[in-house]
Amino acid sequence: MIDTFVRLGDAFATLTTWQMLFHAAWATLLGIAVGSLPGLTATMGVALLTTLTYALPRDAAIMVLICMYVGAIYGGSRSAILLNIPGTPASAATTLDGFPLAKQGRAAYAMSVATTGSSLGTLIGIAMLVALAPALSNLALKFGSFEYFWLAVFGVVISGQLTAGNAPVKGYIAGILGLTVAMVGSEGLHAYVRFSFGFSELNGGIGLIPAMVGAFGFAEVLMVMWQPKGAVVRSQREKGAGLPRFRETWKYRVTVLRSGIIGTFVGLIPGVGEDIGAWASYAAAKRASKEKDQYGKGSIEGLTAAETGNSAVVPGALIPALTLAVPGSAPAAVLIAALFIHGIRPGPMIMIEQPDFIYSVAVMLLFATVAIFAFGISLAPVFEFVLRIPRERLMPVVFALCVIGPYALTQRIFDIWVMVFFGIFGFALRRLGYPMAPLVLGIILGDLLDKNLRRGLTLSDGDLSPFFTRPLCMVFVALIAFTILASIPTIRKNTSFIAGSLLRLGKDT
Amino acid sequence: MRADLYTAPLLFLLGAAMAYGGWTMDRLEIRQIHPASIPGLVPMLLGVSLAIASVVLFIQARAQVAANAVSDMPEQATGSRRDMIVAALLCCIYALGLIGRLPFPAATGLFVTAFIIAFEAHRDMSRAQLVKVCIIGAGLGIAVAATISVLFRYAFLVRLP
Repeated sequence: MIDTFVRLGDAFATLTTWQMLFHAAWATLLGIAVGSLPGLTATMGVALLTTLTYALPRDAAIMVLICMYVGAIYGGSRSAILLNIPGTPASAATTLDGFPLAKQGRAAYAMSVATTGSSLGTLIGIAMLVALAPALSNLALKFGSFEYFWLAVFGVVISGQLTAGNAPVKGYIAGILGLTVAMVGSEGLHAYVRFSFGFSELNGGIGLIPAMVGAFGFAEVLMVMWQPKGAVVRSQREKGAGLPRFRETWKYRVTVLRSGIIGTFVGLIPGVGEDIGAWASYAAAKRASKEKDQYGKGSIEGLTAAETGNSAVVPGALIPALTLAVPGSAPAAVLIAALFIHGIRPGPMIMIEQPDFIYSVAVMLLFATVAIFAFGISLAPVFEFVLRIPRERLMPVVFALCVIGPYALTQRIFDIWVMVFFGIFGFALRRLGYPMAPLVLGIILGDLLDKNLRRGLTLSDGDLSPFFTRPLCMVFVALIAFTILASIPTIRKNTSFIAGSLLRLGKDT
Repeated sequence: MRADLYTAPLLFLLGAAMAYGGWTMDRLEIRQIHPASIPGLVPMLLGVSLAIASVVLFIQARAQVAANAVSDMPEQATGSRRDMIVAALLCCIYALGLIGRLPFPAATGLFVTAFIIAFEAHRDMSRAQLVKVCIIGAGLGIAVAATISVLFRYAFLVRLP
């Protein structure tokens, strides 16, 4: 315990320099602006900014990306409240109570509630990151090839299940397509080149950054141009409305704590992300609330739950990203790629190779939290102005960055083609109702799954039993089977009927 | 949704192709690798999984169509298809056509200007308004092209395409 605080103190002392504070400030501001604008998501922001941080020192680059991530997730609440359009998918639940408050002329008040909720959510997530990450890292050291294979399968299955709404099969298909993309290029055991179709550029595989910039950048540009424009609700200047909402926070302290914990745990689940964190927190808060009838009409509690929940996912998503190299959300997937670019190897060895890095990340998240709190309270009118930038002027700039960003990493025109392909492919998949998170997770986890399945089979001389009999493998297999069975409507209906009957029986006796 | 009835067979074909590709992939016997570690193993499994998932998708979509419970598109169908197609065309011409043929600043300036004019200029505008839109488009095009080019060329030391 004391060791943890000493390490946190060391990280704080190391990172508290004028340069780092400057990086935290501009990156968070940019993140809030990106998140505010409908169509510019946190994933796109982190992916594009990754291409701008090649030249920065390691800690500064990671700080910039984390601040962009935290800022963008928070920034989404601005357009959710003022436009009734979530700036990022993470803020979809915020629109339910944020926009009704804005229509009542209390937009500034709603934004300050969102700011306080987001800041507290991130703080709860940071506390859990510091508490859980080293323990998870120690557990991960016990993982062998067999467990890693199931971890990859579990990631794709659970992400597909939770992000595809009422059609989990589409989530699974998106995940399989992601894994298929990861099969292209030289494989990890024998360096055999698969599915290159004679293109030498494909020998090294498909780069994650061009694919992500395409799927989240170009595809978003097309989505924004497709969707109708939103109209900004003007906030009235109530006296003191923009001040921090500590009284409300204290009143709803249980909701804040519950939402923070739910958000962090949702973040821990591979590839699920902030939107599910917000919805889960919102649903839990509504179920436990004494003022259920206010939900959807401008409930302060509902707004607090949604914003605390989505912001707590950010540190939560970084826990598996740092300790297992399995992203908890789509922006965390880009962050993993950025960590590799800057010479950090996320995974179980991180606590051995770079034991202080997790504490540095906690301090970076803390800086980002302070920045969103300060900017959120003081610069609310500026972000209202940002929302008024016409999409016709913003989108060509975004696309120009989508083109030059992936090119800058390898200086190959081929990566621009990859970006365009994934943009059109991603747009088509979205229009057809396929979620993007399992696709991205599949691209990230493909190599892990492929190498560990074949390595495990080699170790066991072709025997499949270790994949099912080792203790951790049994847990993963049970979880995967449960997840897939729960997605079958007949089984889900029957199990809920049986559970309901048992519950009634219990009450009667 | 109805489109699933058409995408499911395509996905099945992709799955079958993956499985076939994995099956016929070099098994590297010449290197005497363990037979369980052949490079085609995972593509084969993925191909089969994709084919099974596409069959489930097709069955579900057909059941929904039979129950008349399908929507044509998952999101709001009120978007502008024209705007999206024009944007996609302009972006593809810029990324696949202009980049590499023109210097990056010129290509970017042209693209930004064309994009703004394409979406902000309308037939019912007066000549003065059209000139204003063109000036704004050209001004922003030059500013964006210069800023991005200078940033990447001199700050990040990237040799621009």
